[in-house]
Amino acid sequence: MISILPTAFIFIAAALVLGLLPRGHVRGVILLLTPILAAWQIWNLPVGIFLQVEFVGQTLDMMRVDKLSRIFGLIFCLAAFLGNLYAWHVRDFIQQIAALLYAGAAIGAVFAGDLITLFFYWEGTALASVFLIWARRTEGSYHTGMRYLLIQITSGVILLAGTALLYRETGSITFELMTLGSLGTWLIFLSFGMKCAFPLLHNWLQDSYPAATITGTVILSAFTTKLAVYALARGFAGTELLIYIGAAMTLFPIFFAEIENDLRRVLAYSLNNQLGFMVVGIGVGTEMAINGTASHAFAHILYKALLFMSVGAVMLRTGTSKASELGGLCRTMPRTAIFCLIGAASISAFPLFSGFVTKSLIMDETANQHYPIIWAILVFASAGVLSHSGIKIPYFTFFGHDSGLRPKEAPIHMQIAMGFTAFLCIFIGVYPEPLYALLPYEVIYRPYTMSHVVGQLQLLCFALLAFVVLMRTGIHPPEIRAVNLDVDWIYRRLIPTLYNIIYAGVAKVFQLLETLVNTMIQLLVKELYKLHGPETGVSRMRGVGAMVIWVAILLGIALILSYF
Amino acid sequence: MDLNRSNETSKFSPLGKTLSWFTKTKNANKLFLGLALLCFALFLADFTYHKHGHFHIEEIPGFYGAYGFFMFTALILVAKALRLLIKRPENYYGDKAVDGEEYPTDQLEQGSK
Repeated sequence: MISILPTAFIFIAAALVLGLLPRGHVRGVILLLTPILAAWQIWNLPVGIFLQVEFVGQTLDMMRVDKLSRIFGLIFCLAAFLGNLYAWHVRDFIQQIAALLYAGAAIGAVFAGDLITLFFYWEGTALASVFLIWARRTEGSYHTGMRYLLIQITSGVILLAGTALLYRETGSITFELMTLGSLGTWLIFLSFGMKCAFPLLHNWLQDSYPAATITGTVILSAFTTKLAVYALARGFAGTELLIYIGAAMTLFPIFFAEIENDLRRVLAYSLNNQLGFMVVGIGVGTEMAINGTASHAFAHILYKALLFMSVGAVMLRTGTSKASELGGLCRTMPRTAIFCLIGAASISAFPLFSGFVTKSLIMDETANQHYPIIWAILVFASAGVLSHSGIKIPYFTFFGHDSGLRPKEAPIHMQIAMGFTAFLCIFIGVYPEPLYALLPYEVIYRPYTMSHVVGQLQLLCFALLAFVVLMRTGIHPPEIRAVNLDVDWIYRRLIPTLYNIIYAGVAKVFQLLETLVNTMIQLLVKELYKLHGPETGVSRMRGVGAMVIWVAILLGIALILSYF
Repeated sequence: MDLNRSNETSKFSPLGKTLSWFTKTKNANKLFLGLALLCFALFLADFTYHKHGHFHIEEIPGFYGAYGFFMFTALILVAKALRLLIKRPENYYGDKAVDGEEYPTDQLEQGSK
């Protein structure tokens, strides 16, 4: 029975049922069971295309199952489960529905075999996810949500335009490997790039994720961008341009993350940097590189969620995620601190943690394919990851200077969610074979070689040493309450300012014209007044006698003239 | 003051006490020394096995260590310079952003130990 239903519909059905159930734990149980059921279905589906539907003369493939879509489907189910477990205390119906529909749409998009189905789910993720931002219910989150929605919907509209052009060109809407060339393929590429936070298109990510609710950010972090990574891996694997885009993505966010005060925004920059590694893998495009991208996306969703969870738990207890206000929380939130450290070690790719066994697939393949500069950038970016996610997040929250805050430890369900996620991060790092078995292609790779382990440990420990030296010498920049400008300044400040200037300019021109017309009318009236006013010759009152004389003179002249 | 401090420490859970060891000023030197020794050991480890990297530069002993140390320092310095250019007050974007506003307290579960 369940095999004839698209996986996304399980989530939609659950969202419909949820409203009929009483508030409280019953709804929580449904939120946890739905992803488990979906994962079970994905696990048992054979490879192939199912559920073809006719729609306005086109065949839509609702379920295309292969090893690439399966691994993304599974990790999305796992992320939905962990996110919902973390959000067990939330009683906000809107957030619960949004979380279900968002996960469902992302999974639906992953299994979409054609571009039209992809478009529907693509927009679905945008519409569902914005409620996780609006659910904060503040003025700021409302405006941020609007900006987010505008960009996400635009990405979908561009996807649809690209699909239409591609269909006119090839006569097919199948979502398969494309080569950049025609306008259609470029538009689809751009649409994926917007959701994947390519450089200059990235800022919706850092703008919106810190504005969502505590649990909303954890859920947001998993889906949208990794869906875009999947779409790029499916549609543009081996596109060399992606190597350079990806390298730029690993590079620029680390500088911004370093000086950002809001730790959830630091994590958003860090997310952007991690996407860069995946995009490089897609650009390299070999079997091993695609394996690297898929496995890194899998591991990344877990450790990124774990980091957002630990900062979220701190926020739930203290009301802030700003580094300048935090510090020394390990005293009363030691378990959260340890979970955070595990997430930090995983993202920094310490040996025995998940990032190590997945990122190295991408790095090694980049080197194998002879991209020395890209490789050097990726190694540098790895040290950068350590800097903001590995050190800054745990150090300035749980250690560092004592903020004097003594919050309670995180609620028990959050601890369970974090503990389970932390366990998975270590499990993948220690025993990567089960993850490798899920990858799209066969893996012939040993992450734990002497040179690899020592090299990575050297990189990380010496970078750590540099951090300590910079802290002790006072060179390391302090955490201060401030915001930093990024590309979003263009549409949040520059364009509104320019608009205001142009608006004021146009208004001034009209004002001038109006003044000019008014002045001319006034002048005209004055002139007329001069001529016809009561004081002027034209309208002066003259006596009747003078008139009679003049008439008599005229008549006299007429009489004289008549004699000639 | 000191008495208060030690009283407070005794209230922390065993795990909290263990972790708070790392925050004490007097232990900072020990940690620093430990890290420096670890780095030195890792550098020495490079001589114990045959390195087989993709590029020749990887075969220089301590290459990764030096690269990590200097690039990390460069990163911090560049970021510091970047801050001079792009830093703005927290309420720069006014009420159209969440930076200047408090997180709604009804969505928090605060409480201190």
